[in-house]
Amino acid sequence: MSMNFSEFKKLLGADPLNRDPETLRARNSAAEFEAAAAEAEAFEEKLQSALLVKPPADLLSNIKAISQQPANKRRNWLPLALAASLLISIGAVTLVWNQSRQWDNVGAYLADHYSHDGSKLVARATELVAQKDIDKIMAKLGATADEQLSDRIRLIKFCPTPEGRGAHMVVSTEQGPMTIIFMPETRVTDGEMVEFDQMHAMLVNLEHGSAAIIGEQGQAVENLQAMIRNSLKTGLVGV
Amino acid sequence: MTNDTERTARFNELAEAYSTDLYRYGMWICGNDALAKDLVQETFLRAWRALDSLKDIKAAKSWLITILRREYARTFERKVPKFTDVDKVVVAEEEELEPDAKVERDLLRNGILKLEPKYRDPLLLQVVFGHSCEEISEQLGISKSAVMTQLFRAREKVKRQMQKDGVTGNVHELF
Repeated sequence: MSMNFSEFKKLLGADPLNRDPETLRARNSAAEFEAAAAEAEAFEEKLQSALLVKPPADLLSNIKAISQQPANKRRNWLPLALAASLLISIGAVTLVWNQSRQWDNVGAYLADHYSHDGSKLVARATELVAQKDIDKIMAKLGATADEQLSDRIRLIKFCPTPEGRGAHMVVSTEQGPMTIIFMPETRVTDGEMVEFDQMHAMLVNLEHGSAAIIGEQGQAVENLQAMIRNSLKTGLVGV
Repeated sequence: MTNDTERTARFNELAEAYSTDLYRYGMWICGNDALAKDLVQETFLRAWRALDSLKDIKAAKSWLITILRREYARTFERKVPKFTDVDKVVVAEEEELEPDAKVERDLLRNGILKLEPKYRDPLLLQVVFGHSCEEISEQLGISKSAVMTQLFRAREKVKRQMQKDGVTGNVHELF
């Protein structure tokens, strides 16, 4: 039984590039069928073009960086690897802290620190961090982070700063992930912007210490300053 | 070649083959370039962790789409991200579009963004990934006839929205 025009139009609407024999036979059966098929193909071409958006230039390199981290298949080695990592980390942190005076200013520290593992940590930061884990790290630094900040934290760890230990955080924002470095003992020029390696950062003085909000050049890091000032309470004794 | 090297090479092949289409798909389902980038990176992070469970490389595309859809549902569905100005996202066409063609393209994009997910999802799977109706049926877990109906209605809705916006000029407010 041959296809009527209404059925043919529905088939075209579902799959304009359909080339099955029955559809082709119908297409060739009358001029109005042929015209409808040509119109559907032209619309499809425009639809395909409209959906072509170019991905960010660094997308592929960021994804490939993921393969530098250990996979699940090494799970059996995890305890041993953790112990080894801990020893190496202690050595590395000690070394970095001993060298901390080499930075002439906070901008040089940020460039050095972020180039070490900043982008890898952004790529790794996928899960929201539990509030208790954030509280533990913040408490050791004499600080607290309220929900406005903690609900965004996808990674947090201790890190060296120009003066002692601080916290390295990756937070989710409407503009994509950004990095916050909390420096409990370091004062900065409030509101100063520093640039390094296609990144930029805003320095913010807190009640005690300071923070750097780091993002890619296209990200408006200044949009986070009010939230950081309000949410990161510092200089707390005995928390 | 060691297992680790092979594994990394396999992962990189997947990234090269599918990251662009996954980004486009992510961009049109969440309507925000930064979120789409996060979504694709998280998809590949999960893919990397579970790579050994992918036995058939031919199934990689569907596997990655499934991961991305789950990640989107889990992370972003409850938030309604602010839509990005699509004109700020560099478009892949090399040549400059004529003004009329640009307006028509913007009307089309507006129409796609306004589609309900049940119409938008099969349309994107078909146009972005080149899925057949059978493949979309498997991906979305609905019958082939339901897929065909939704695809037909999706295109009709986009056309109607284009006509409506073309008259009211809504598209200029959005883009």
